[in-house]
Amino acid sequence: MPTPTYDAIVIGGGHNGLINAAYLARAGKRVLVLERRPILGGAAVTEEIFPGYRFTEFSYVVSLLRPEIIRELELPRHGLKILPLPSTYTPLPNGDYLAAWADHDDTRRELYRHSPRDADAYDDYARLMVRMAMAVKPLLALVPPDPASLSPRDLLGLWKTARYAASLSEKDLYALAKLITQSSADLLDDWFETDALKGTKSASGIIGTFLGPRSPGTAYVLLHHYMGEIDGAFRAWGFAKDGSGGVTASITHAARALGVEIRTDSPVKQVIVKNGRAAGVALENGDEFHARVVVSAADPKRTFLQFVEPKYFPEDFLTQIRNFRVRGSSGKLNLALSELPNFSPRSPSAARFLASITPDPLTLYRGAVSISPSIEYIERAYDDAKYGQPSRRPYIDIIIPSMIDPDMAPPGHHVMSCFVQYVPYDVEGGWSDERKAQFAENVISTLEEYAPNLRRAIVGMQVITPADIERIAGITGGNIFHGELLLHQLFFLRPAPQWADFRTPLPGYYLAASGAHPGGGVMGAAGKLAAQEILKDWK
Amino acid sequence: MNHYDVLIIGAGHNGLTAAAYLSKAGKRVLVLEKRPVIGGFCVGENDTPALAPFPRGILRPDIIRHLSLERFGLNPAPVSTDLISLLPGGRQLVLSADTAKTVDSISQFSKTDAARWPAFVRFIERAAAFLEAAYATPIPRLPKFSLAEGIPLAQLALKLRALGPKDMHNVIRLLPMTVKELLDEWFESEELKAAIATLGIHNANLGVMSAGSAYNLLHQYLIRGGSSPERNGRGWGQPVQHTHQVIAALEQAARAYGAEIRLNAEVARIMVENDRVTGVRLHSGEHLAASTVLSSVDPKTTFLRLVTPEPLDPEFVWQAQRIKMRGVTAKLQLTLASSVHPLEAIRASASSSVFIIAPSLTYLERAYDAAKYGQISEKPYLEMTPTGNLLSIHFQFAPYFLKPSAWNEETRRILAQTTWNTLNEYAPHLQSEITNLKSLTPLDLETTFALTEGDPHHGQILLDQFFFMRPLPGYADYKTPIEGLYLCGSGTHGGGGVSGIPGRNAAKSVLA
Repeated sequence: MPTPTYDAIVIGGGHNGLINAAYLARAGKRVLVLERRPILGGAAVTEEIFPGYRFTEFSYVVSLLRPEIIRELELPRHGLKILPLPSTYTPLPNGDYLAAWADHDDTRRELYRHSPRDADAYDDYARLMVRMAMAVKPLLALVPPDPASLSPRDLLGLWKTARYAASLSEKDLYALAKLITQSSADLLDDWFETDALKGTKSASGIIGTFLGPRSPGTAYVLLHHYMGEIDGAFRAWGFAKDGSGGVTASITHAARALGVEIRTDSPVKQVIVKNGRAAGVALENGDEFHARVVVSAADPKRTFLQFVEPKYFPEDFLTQIRNFRVRGSSGKLNLALSELPNFSPRSPSAARFLASITPDPLTLYRGAVSISPSIEYIERAYDDAKYGQPSRRPYIDIIIPSMIDPDMAPPGHHVMSCFVQYVPYDVEGGWSDERKAQFAENVISTLEEYAPNLRRAIVGMQVITPADIERIAGITGGNIFHGELLLHQLFFLRPAPQWADFRTPLPGYYLAASGAHPGGGVMGAAGKLAAQEILKDWK
Repeated sequence: MNHYDVLIIGAGHNGLTAAAYLSKAGKRVLVLEKRPVIGGFCVGENDTPALAPFPRGILRPDIIRHLSLERFGLNPAPVSTDLISLLPGGRQLVLSADTAKTVDSISQFSKTDAARWPAFVRFIERAAAFLEAAYATPIPRLPKFSLAEGIPLAQLALKLRALGPKDMHNVIRLLPMTVKELLDEWFESEELKAAIATLGIHNANLGVMSAGSAYNLLHQYLIRGGSSPERNGRGWGQPVQHTHQVIAALEQAARAYGAEIRLNAEVARIMVENDRVTGVRLHSGEHLAASTVLSSVDPKTTFLRLVTPEPLDPEFVWQAQRIKMRGVTAKLQLTLASSVHPLEAIRASASSSVFIIAPSLTYLERAYDAAKYGQISEKPYLEMTPTGNLLSIHFQFAPYFLKPSAWNEETRRILAQTTWNTLNEYAPHLQSEITNLKSLTPLDLETTFALTEGDPHHGQILLDQFFFMRPLPGYADYKTPIEGLYLCGSGTHGGGGVSGIPGRNAAKSVLA
């Protein structure tokens, strides 16, 4: 048996893999990261798809990245720079619009124009959501205890969780229980009457999930997206300098500075098992690397069903992993544009009002533009997808990175990132070029209703379906969270009961990505928590 | 003036169950019923059983025992019926308590599924048994409860653990799932999955692809008589017991234990002084005094109409306003020319069976899509219960909140026409037999049976209205913010269905 050259090998150079490697190296371990693609970042990459136009291909905003990770890995020193998105602008079919601004008073004025009642309710709602996000946050930093286990560690974890729940006020505890179990439509109907407000807010409840806003469980996903934090300010989303690739670059830089060795173009074929322990990996080209532990930052399906021979796992466990839901539901349209799309309000009174909020007509293009006029609109988009069709009128979340970071496109030109839902992975008849063209056309014709000049401005287009996410970023099912944030796939059930503590039934083999607790987004929590657990086992 | 210890509003099955328990314990009880008949939604207008929203139901066995209902004419161990799915081309699928019979029927569709059926039933039985234990457990106010209050909770947790790690995980995991996900994990036959999935959407404003529909499946299985040692696997069809028989036995028991029942006595107000209940005022203007009042009426009506909002905390009122009712069920009754079994031509032997039209999961999901946008399903999920020459039809989805207009004669006509068209497709020979068709829209359910928004469960069976959140967070112990006022209807913990659980639990809470 060859002597292990490394303490740990991390499969996958996405943000979680790199964060995991960085934390292990920080504890003095010799770590090797193996990335399948020629570039690092997984789903957090920036690529120049057309000469001069740089796309933040998959993930496109930052906010969920845990602040303690930014601090502990000193990411700003390694080049991380987050540019805040100042607004979310929802254009409406009737030429009006609704916007939320960084300035609270502006948002209030804006809402008041649509509904005085909603403007009043907004403050209470925002306070509730912040309180709820604060209440959930400690749970995200916890290794989920298994309620069926009698091991001292799980019992202690359960005791801590119960103690924590008991420390919440009765009111907050009930509000949290409601929030976790209800639909985002019900939650928002309780508070607001303006369709565009409810539509835009409900959209965060469906992202990465194959459910409509009327399905129970979506309020939790909405809360998950509230967890974002930049400089301690809740609910602030930002765009990284150089796109999501910029985040990856800073983490890579930090990891390398801590001594992590990284190899790209190194697709892993199999995990080597010796004496019932993970002992290294074999690459597709036949190279072998040996280590004391192997960490997978791939999704659970690849981690357990592809990299390791099934004989090393109990049948029950494999069934649970096969049943883990990874239905991709979103796609992207990345556009290179010769001019800015014109989303400005067509209604003169709305335009006057917008000018009173911000004299600069370009302000709204520095923030997010959301095509989400009502809950019903999104629910209907879901109806198409559940029968295997891309939504004819989809929910679209747009940012124009070149307005925030001019280095992203040639002068005067723009890149526009459109996150689109719903785009089913299992599209009827499978994904063909015609299907992709149809999906792109659905998006463009929807956008055209709000920005009539859009079509003629397009000089380049990259269409990404869940099948493309699977092929390029290597995520099974193309699910951006490595597994839907469904209630039965969270906490001690993620990715499978008994195995929510980043360990796996194969000793020496760990899971450290979004498919583990606490789940998806460019958050990094799974990478860090897994590193902590690995180091505990080292002793 | 008569003095009563306890006034109970509503003589439905839960009001009567509570009355029987309390009078048996020596309390002087008066039950006040607004209709001229006893039985709430278990008994139809003009006493026609088939047009009752719940034509069949089954009380939990311990209630039958405690109240000696056998002495009052109730068959303690009724046989349950088969659930027969009528499929295109005259095919049928039978789900029965008789495992061999079910396995045989399923094997026409899939041998693999037939082989998995017994294990699936065992799992659902264990899960439903846990749900039943949860429904029998008094839930204290969280998070700060006394040690004494914590004991039943701890016992419940031990029961959950006693399932063993695998089942425990599976039960917890099941509750928030969609019924489609659950069934996809077990079976491959679309016909079988759809038939089982009807329990997941029955009376619920949910589709087979809505999260939480698996919990409703478990709840329906339980209230159809499943999950208890003597009833293994019996939760598929509806029990043979007609609810008017259940009501008759409960009424006799309550009276025998000393309870009085007044008909045509509609309560206008629950009287409150200094946060304490003092009695009720009837519509006639009469005042009745008592220090304990139980309302079997739904929580929305109780808190928003019978108690004036003044004694209640505004936040409490806000939450009560938001209890989700949103009925989606209509009921129809067909009278057939002959007393021959209405579906005899397609199945002669199943005289007491329940028939469903639910050919596929997509069919059911599309039926639900209509309800999301306030429309009557064009191709509805139907459940048909024959009684003599009457056929009671459960129609879903017919939403209470119709768009653009509310329920009227035109929409009632559409409801009948849609039922007619659907029957024509799946049971064509019926057409010539029909002599009369009556319908109860969700609006009728509200006006006739006092079911707010036409919801037979007094509050949807949803995860956010479950356990310590039913009827309202912090009030799962049948108490209310008003001292002496209790709830005992279906809108409370364990409620929804003709199980008697809330009536029993509320009586225990009063006596505790």
